[in-house]
Amino acid sequence: MPPPGGFEAVKYKRNLPFRGPSALVLLGTVTAICGYGFYRVGKGNLEKRELQREKVWSRIHLVPLLMAEGDRDAYRREQAALARERLIMKDVEGWEPGKGSYHSSRYRSPEIVIL
Amino acid sequence: MSSFQQGSTTATEYVDATPLPDNVPKVDELGVTSAPLKSAAFFIGAHCKDFNDDFMLCKSENRDPAHCLKEGRRVTRCARDLINKMRDSCLKEFDAHWTCLEKNNQEYYLCRKPERTLNQCMFEKLGLTKTIPGTPPGQKPIHEVDSPIFKAIQK
Repeated sequence: MPPPGGFEAVKYKRNLPFRGPSALVLLGTVTAICGYGFYRVGKGNLEKRELQREKVWSRIHLVPLLMAEGDRDAYRREQAALARERLIMKDVEGWEPGKGSYHSSRYRSPEIVIL
Repeated sequence: MSSFQQGSTTATEYVDATPLPDNVPKVDELGVTSAPLKSAAFFIGAHCKDFNDDFMLCKSENRDPAHCLKEGRRVTRCARDLINKMRDSCLKEFDAHWTCLEKNNQEYYLCRKPERTLNQCMFEKLGLTKTIPGTPPGQKPIHEVDSPIFKAIQK
């Protein structure tokens, strides 16, 4: 015999609670964040290139200045070395001071430098 | 640990103090350290372009230091002239910029604020502008970008 009031209803509905945003939403969000990050990286790379160009040109503008100063110093030392050589070798017959050991007019920086 | 040293060796290094020969005209060297030089580099490039180009062309002819002494003196005089002019007209901005460079590893991108005031002053007083050759056309030069990606982390 059925109980008084009848049987209770059969529980057949699915019990699926909400468990956060869907996979598509997650994937989309992550892709968007990554996309923005890569966009910034790309922008940053372009900017880095320009910064490097700025740095290089600041040095290029200074090259003649520093080279001129260095050249004057090198010339001073060369002349001093030549005078020393002339003094030391003055008794040697046929000695040409400052004559290189190479048969060429191309400039070669001295191998031995006195600071 | 001690080591034996002969009495004939000197402890100090020998420095050749012989001055330049008299037939070379004297020129005052530019006694400027690296940070002010870096700060003034683009203005030197703008102000002394002819002398610099002349000197580099001369150097490409012959690498002998004796070959380009005259052009080198012109380069140094021009740079001295520019530094003096900068100090006369924009001393405060110049000092602010190169001290900033000194404190920031000599990086331009960390010192944009003092650099802009210096550029402004140099343009108003001396008519010199900072231009970076080779910037892609239609693009803002990097020293004028308002919100760059690379900047100091601390404001």
